[in-house]
Amino acid sequence: MLETLAAGQLAFAALALGALYGLIALGLNLVYGTMRLLNVAHGEVVMLGGYATYWAFTLAGVPPLAAVALTAAGGAARGAAAAQWHLRRLLASPRAAARIEANSLLAFFGLSIVVQNLAALAFSSTPRGYEYLPAVIRIGDAAVTGARLAAVALAIALCAAVLLFLRRHTFGLAMRALIDHRAAAAVVGVDVDRVQRGSFVLGFATAAVAGTLLSMTEQVSPFMGFPVTIAAFVVVILGGLGRPEGTIAAALVLGVVETYGVALTSPTYRSILVYGVFVLLLLARPQGLLGRRAIVR
Amino acid sequence: MSTHRDAALVLAALAAAAAVPALGSDYWTGLAITVLMWVALAQSWSVFSGLSGYVSFGHVVFYGLGAYLVVASWDRLPPALSVPLAALAAAAFALAIGAPVLRVRGPYFVILSFGVAELVKFVVIAVEAAAGNASRLILRTPEIDAIFYAMLALAAAATALAWGARVTRLGQGLRAIREDEVAAETLGVPAARYKLAALALSAAIPGAVGGTMAMRATYFEPLQAFDPMVSFTMIATAVIGGSDDVRGPVLGALLLVLLSELLWAGAPQLYMVVLGVLVVVFVLYLPDGLCGRLPAARAPRA
Repeated sequence: MLETLAAGQLAFAALALGALYGLIALGLNLVYGTMRLLNVAHGEVVMLGGYATYWAFTLAGVPPLAAVALTAAGGAARGAAAAQWHLRRLLASPRAAARIEANSLLAFFGLSIVVQNLAALAFSSTPRGYEYLPAVIRIGDAAVTGARLAAVALAIALCAAVLLFLRRHTFGLAMRALIDHRAAAAVVGVDVDRVQRGSFVLGFATAAVAGTLLSMTEQVSPFMGFPVTIAAFVVVILGGLGRPEGTIAAALVLGVVETYGVALTSPTYRSILVYGVFVLLLLARPQGLLGRRAIVR
Repeated sequence: MSTHRDAALVLAALAAAAAVPALGSDYWTGLAITVLMWVALAQSWSVFSGLSGYVSFGHVVFYGLGAYLVVASWDRLPPALSVPLAALAAAAFALAIGAPVLRVRGPYFVILSFGVAELVKFVVIAVEAAAGNASRLILRTPEIDAIFYAMLALAAAATALAWGARVTRLGQGLRAIREDEVAAETLGVPAARYKLAALALSAAIPGAVGGTMAMRATYFEPLQAFDPMVSFTMIATAVIGGSDDVRGPVLGALLLVLLSELLWAGAPQLYMVVLGVLVVVFVLYLPDGLCGRLPAARAPRA
C-alpha cells in the first residue's frame, strides 16, 4: 500500500487532475465573481469544448493541440453572448434579478439539461474517445501517454498564464477589483460593463479549452458536465472568491484528495468523496463563495 | 378565500380520477398513476420550496430512501406497514439533515440540496455494491389497481397538506421567510422551526410515493431511484403549473405527462430538451406558472 502511495504515477495523476480542476475553476471564479451568477452550466461549456475537439480531430484531422485555439474562440464567443444576454436582463430589472437569484439558478439547471440532451440528440449518448499521441513516456517511475503529458503541461501553462494575467495585467487587476468590491471598483474608474464581459469571455474560453484537454485524456459524453461543475464549485468555495492563487491551491488539494482517496479505498468511493467534500464545505461555510467577508443581506 | 375553493376543486378532480380503473385498461390506469405521482411529489415540494423560497433540488432523496426502505424490507414487512414507514423515515431524515442544511441560503441551498441527494445516492450505491446487490427485484407486488388507489390517496393527502400549509400560521410564516427572512425573524416568526417543520412535512409523502413506485417497478436500482431528474421534474411540474397555488401541480402534472406520452417513447432526449426549455421560460418569464394565466386568478397576495 505504501509503495502505491509513494509512486510517481499517483502523484502525476493528482497533479493532472488538479491542473484541470484549476483551469476550470479559474473560469468559474471569474464568471461567478464578477456577476454573482452561479453558472451551473459551466460544465456544459467544458463538454462542448470536448466535443468540438473530438469532431475536429476525427472529421478534419485537426490535432487537439491546435484545436485549443478553435475551442478557445468558440468558448469566448459563447461567453460574450452569455454576458450580453445577462447584462440586458439585469438592465431590464436589476432588483428582480437580485431577488430571483435562486430561481435563476433553476433556469440555469434547465439550460444545462437542454444543452446536455441536445448534445445527446446530436452526438448520441455513447462516450467517444480518440487516439492521440499514444506513445508512453517515462518520467521517473511514472509512465504517461504523450497526450496526457501534453494536456497536463498545457493546463499548467494556461493556469500560470491566467494567474499572471490576473496579477499583472491592468485588465486582470480590474477583474479582481470588481470581484472584491464592485462599487469601489466603479468609483476608481473600472469600466464595470467591459470588465464583466471580459470575465465571461475569459471564463468561458478557459472552460472550453479545459474540455479540449479533458478529451485528450478521457472519453467525452453529453453528461460529463455536472460532475465537472460540482468539482469546480468545490474548488472555488475552498479557494475563495476572487483569489486566483487560492483557486489553484484548492484545485491541487482536491486533485490530491480525490486521487489518493480513491487509491486508498476504491473507485466506487470517488463520487462519495467529491460530494462529501462539497456538502461539508457548504455546511461549514453557509455563506458560500463569499468566504469570510460575507455580505449579509 | 379562493384557496378553499381551489383545494375543493382539486380534491373533487382527484375523486373523479378514482373512476379511471373502471375503464379496465392497464394503460390508462398506469398513466393515471404517473399523473398522480407527479401531483403528490410537486404538491409536497411546494409545501416547502414554493412557500419558503428555499428551492430544493434534492427532493429525490426522500423518494429514493422511501423506495429503498420498502424494497429492503420486502418479504419481511407488508406494504401497508412499510409504505407509511417510508414516509416516516423520509421525514426523520429531513429532520436530521434539516438543522445544518437550512442555515444555507439562496443559490447555495439549491446546490447543497442537490449535493446531499447525490451524496446519499452514491452512499446507497456503495452499500448495495458492498452487499453484492447491483439491483433488487421484488416479487408478489400488489396489482396495478391497488397501487393506483394508494397513489390517489397520496396525491389527495399531498393536496390537502399543500392547502393546509397555505392557510395556517405555518404557511404565512414561510411566506414571510420567503419575502425577507431577517425581517420575519424580527417580527417573531420562528424561522428555523418553521423551515424544519415544512421540510419534514414536505419529505414524508415523497417517501411514501417512492415506496409505492418501487412496487410498481418491482425492482430497485439506486441510479434510478435517486435520479436527479426526479427532483428536476418535480420542480418543473410545480413551476410550470404555478408553485404558489394548489391547482398548479395538477395542471403541471397533466401537461408534463401528456408531453412525455407524446415524446418519451420515441425521443426521450427531445422530451428532456422540451422540459428544460419550459423550465427556463417559466422561471424567467412566467414565474406564476399556468395558474398565473388562469382567468379565475387567486386573490392577490400581500
